[in-house]
Amino acid sequence: MSSTMKNRIIQSIAVAIDCSPHSKASLEAAAEMAARLKAELIGIFVEDINLLRVAGLPFAEEVRLYSATTTKLDVGELERLLRQQAKQARELLQRTAEARTLRHTFRVLRGMVPEQLMQGAPEADILVLGRSGRSPSCRKGLGSTARTALSECKMNVMLMRPGVTASEGPLLLLYDGTEAAKRALSTALEIAGPTSTLHLLVTEADLDAIERCKEVTAAIVSGRAIETEYYHLPFRDSRQLVSFIRMIDSGLVVIGEGMNLPPETLRELIDDIDYPVLLVR
Amino acid sequence: MPVPEKLLPAQLFNRCDPGSFEFGTTAELDGATEIAGQQRALEAIRLGMGIRHDGFNLFALGPSGTGKESTVRQFLNAIAPGRARPDDWCYVYNFSKPRNPKALRLPPGMACRLSDDMDHLVETLFSVMPAAFSSEEYQAREKDIGESLLEKQSSAIETLETDAREHSISLIRTPGGFAFAPVIEEKVIAPDDYMAMKKEERDKIEKEIDRLRNSLQSIMAQFPKWQRETAEKIKELNREVSAFTLKPLMEEIRTRYKDIEEVSRYIDEVEKDMIENFGQFLEKDAPEDGPIMMPPPFSPAGRKRSVVRYRVNVMIDNGKLDGAPVILEDKPATQNLVGDIEHAAQMGTLITDFTLIKPGALHRANGGYLILDARRLLLEPFAWEALKKALRTRQIRIESLAQLYSLVSTISLEPEPIPLDLKVVLLGERRLYYMLSQYDPDFNELFKIAADFENDMERNPETHLAYAHLVGSIAVRDKLLPFDRGAVARIVEHGSRMAGDATRLSSNLQAVRDLVHEAEYHAAQNGRTQVSAEDVEAMREAQRYRASRIQERMRDAMMRGMILIDTASEQVGQINGLSVYSLGEQSFGSPSRITARVRLGKGEVIDIEREVEMGGPIHSKGVMILSGFLGSRYAAEQPLSLSATLVFEQSYGGVEGDSASSTELYALLSAISGIPIRQCLAVTGSVNQHGQVQAIGGVNEKIEGFFDLCSERGLDGRHGVLIPASNVRNLMLRQDIVKAVESGLFSIWPVTHIDEGIEILTGVPAGEADASGAWPVGTVNAKVFERLKAMAEKLKAFAEKKNGEPEK
Repeated sequence: MSSTMKNRIIQSIAVAIDCSPHSKASLEAAAEMAARLKAELIGIFVEDINLLRVAGLPFAEEVRLYSATTTKLDVGELERLLRQQAKQARELLQRTAEARTLRHTFRVLRGMVPEQLMQGAPEADILVLGRSGRSPSCRKGLGSTARTALSECKMNVMLMRPGVTASEGPLLLLYDGTEAAKRALSTALEIAGPTSTLHLLVTEADLDAIERCKEVTAAIVSGRAIETEYYHLPFRDSRQLVSFIRMIDSGLVVIGEGMNLPPETLRELIDDIDYPVLLVR
Repeated sequence: MPVPEKLLPAQLFNRCDPGSFEFGTTAELDGATEIAGQQRALEAIRLGMGIRHDGFNLFALGPSGTGKESTVRQFLNAIAPGRARPDDWCYVYNFSKPRNPKALRLPPGMACRLSDDMDHLVETLFSVMPAAFSSEEYQAREKDIGESLLEKQSSAIETLETDAREHSISLIRTPGGFAFAPVIEEKVIAPDDYMAMKKEERDKIEKEIDRLRNSLQSIMAQFPKWQRETAEKIKELNREVSAFTLKPLMEEIRTRYKDIEEVSRYIDEVEKDMIENFGQFLEKDAPEDGPIMMPPPFSPAGRKRSVVRYRVNVMIDNGKLDGAPVILEDKPATQNLVGDIEHAAQMGTLITDFTLIKPGALHRANGGYLILDARRLLLEPFAWEALKKALRTRQIRIESLAQLYSLVSTISLEPEPIPLDLKVVLLGERRLYYMLSQYDPDFNELFKIAADFENDMERNPETHLAYAHLVGSIAVRDKLLPFDRGAVARIVEHGSRMAGDATRLSSNLQAVRDLVHEAEYHAAQNGRTQVSAEDVEAMREAQRYRASRIQERMRDAMMRGMILIDTASEQVGQINGLSVYSLGEQSFGSPSRITARVRLGKGEVIDIEREVEMGGPIHSKGVMILSGFLGSRYAAEQPLSLSATLVFEQSYGGVEGDSASSTELYALLSAISGIPIRQCLAVTGSVNQHGQVQAIGGVNEKIEGFFDLCSERGLDGRHGVLIPASNVRNLMLRQDIVKAVESGLFSIWPVTHIDEGIEILTGVPAGEADASGAWPVGTVNAKVFERLKAMAEKLKAFAEKKNGEPEK
């Protein structure tokens, strides 16, 4: 048992909490994963330096969301609000973690949000955050923090959205036989729940690709009972991939960084699909 | 004046000959009861029910037991099937004014169908609506509308963000909204760095931010409008989907009721409301009060409050009726008459809705006939006024009494009134009718026809047979032994006795019914298979015995001399009067001693009863009449110079009635003349100022009372009773008296004038005045005249002496 524990890819999970619906979903997913993998949970709350700076500017005024009126921003007031948000985040983490008896820590950092998130828990194996946070526009795509984390973070990144569970449901993995894809496969198998179905989307043009993929999967699975489905989809265009993923309607999409996919395809794919994404590094 | 002949036995009792009946027992009769002897009332009922016009309602008046109710019912049940079946009525929700439930009129039998149809519709919608709204097509369209709003909003902001970025300004989300700030490489410029910038640069930035902020504000000002538009779009979609789902179901119902305009209009309103409130059909069985709250065991709303309003509250279903309804309301309380709005307690408050409107007797009888007992109606608070109001306004308006008199204060309803068209028949005693007619101005307007039921009917072969039919029908209906004709004849005779008239029969059907039951009991006790005359006699005897306690105690007191009644000797100024005691249903006669004393005086006859206020006004009137007679007959030419006192000896209660006035006159004549009266005789009868003896009531009881006492003391042929000749037709005496008369032990004299009576009582002729006005010597009248003359002279002498004139 202990040896398998040690061999785990994920021992510690960092999660960004800002009390937005996306971050709540992130925390929930992270806690779920941590509980199954017996991993530690690290909650990170970042006090946005940008916000504090705005408040410090002489002309800073806030346009209120539901009345469109303006009010003066005040540093003291903002600090108080941030402290309160941090407290709420801590309580949320505590509640979630204690319900599952998880090891957990909570960190409050100040600075640029993406940077602080990436540096806040260097010991963590995975960073879980919302697809979009409390961003100004109600956009559908990725938030700026998520985008930065995807492109710059050194560890595995999982982007969550509310309404979809990460690992209890089905998983979908892009596979092309590369090392990155194999890493992604191992990680996916590790986080997959006991009842999850693993959909493998083989993107190699080669006709034997599926067979090879099956072999590799069987080796990694090594006797563990997991339902797998294989699909051969030799496309490299993000739009086709997105429509196929939507058709399968699986949950978490697992992608290995360094696969034989053009970076823009990958970005477009993550941008467009409305599912949580795990980028394995 | 010749003394009248004693009555013959045949005159004392009008026998009913069993031989006059053609049947052996009542079992041979067909069991149908005919209404006999009530032609006048029947005529009135026929008229009242025949005139279809306002106010021609009927009041059937007569003593209780005369068969008012059964007569009216029998009549109405006979004519009702020939009349048109009235329409059904129901209450439905009023979509425009929920406080005023709408009354719908439907052809007979259709109300229940509409109710079923609506229930079925609602039930169907609970499965059809969710299916329509969970269809993929609907979901996709709804999502589409929602997302287009989001896109619109985000693209507006994104455009602004791009604009800002071009000027190195970033849109930042603050805890309460948005703010703009200058950025360098994604980082907001720190305040110190900013202040270190040149003023022109700062002004430029601030100006730019001002512009951006204004744009943002104008974008955000549009958000509510967009949201409203989106909501409207979704609503429109919902409306479209629900209308489409509803249409075929509604069409089905609509075609069924297309001929009834009001119902069609109602169905249109239902459809409109269902489309607007489609949501209520989506969550089936969802407890609206939440899971913790106990659903009340009785919820007027049933499963779901909101869909209750599509129910149909059927007030009147005449589907199974044959002709017009005939309703007898036994408890005419206001809410039983005009209906009621009930309330249900829910979570400690009283609530109601149109399904809790309850119909009253007026609803049920609408289009037909309603029979009510007047006394019960008047005893119920507000019921009389409510009935009158309904009849006057010709509509039934349901009002909650509690609400009306502010006893409760909850949300209540004012249901639309229902037009009223019916005939009301009130049953009651005459007294009630006359009182209402006198004191209630509305009464004569609303109850124009009075059906006056007779207390009794003429006695003839037809009514004899009607009695037989009545007895037979009671026997059949109540599963009694059949009555043989002898028993029926006895009952007919008793009917005459109840009527107090040998030539009439009582119409008190209730009394006859009781009689029949009792007689049958005796027959059954004796193990007979049919009721015979002996059983009726035994029943009568038992009745008499049961009622005779006081009578016997009084007679006992007379026998022992506690109450002084002489039935043997002859006495001056003393006579046996006869009085009747009424105790509840029973009455009996008993003799009482009346005495008179005279002395010199100024012509007054003092009625001691009146002086001590124990005599009623009629009694006093009788005494005054007799003193009028006395004065005019014997003292026309001279002052009546006596003072007389009259008294009922040993009377401790009151005395009322004038039936003793002739008796008192005899006592007075005896006292004045000094001629003794035979105490073996008793007298009854009233007298007028001419000395004629007039009829009185209770003659049978009076004779029997005296006979019982005499017979107990021993009859010797001298005993007898003087009755007014006009009362002979009332005689229905007991058989033992008839037998005593037959054997000459007891006599009854019919008397028409005082002169006849005094001769029988004293054995001295009364005497008739000759042409000069003088009375034959030795007669009673002569003696009275002489005595009075002597008294007048004596008084005159006294008066002169008193005035100081010298004695001659």
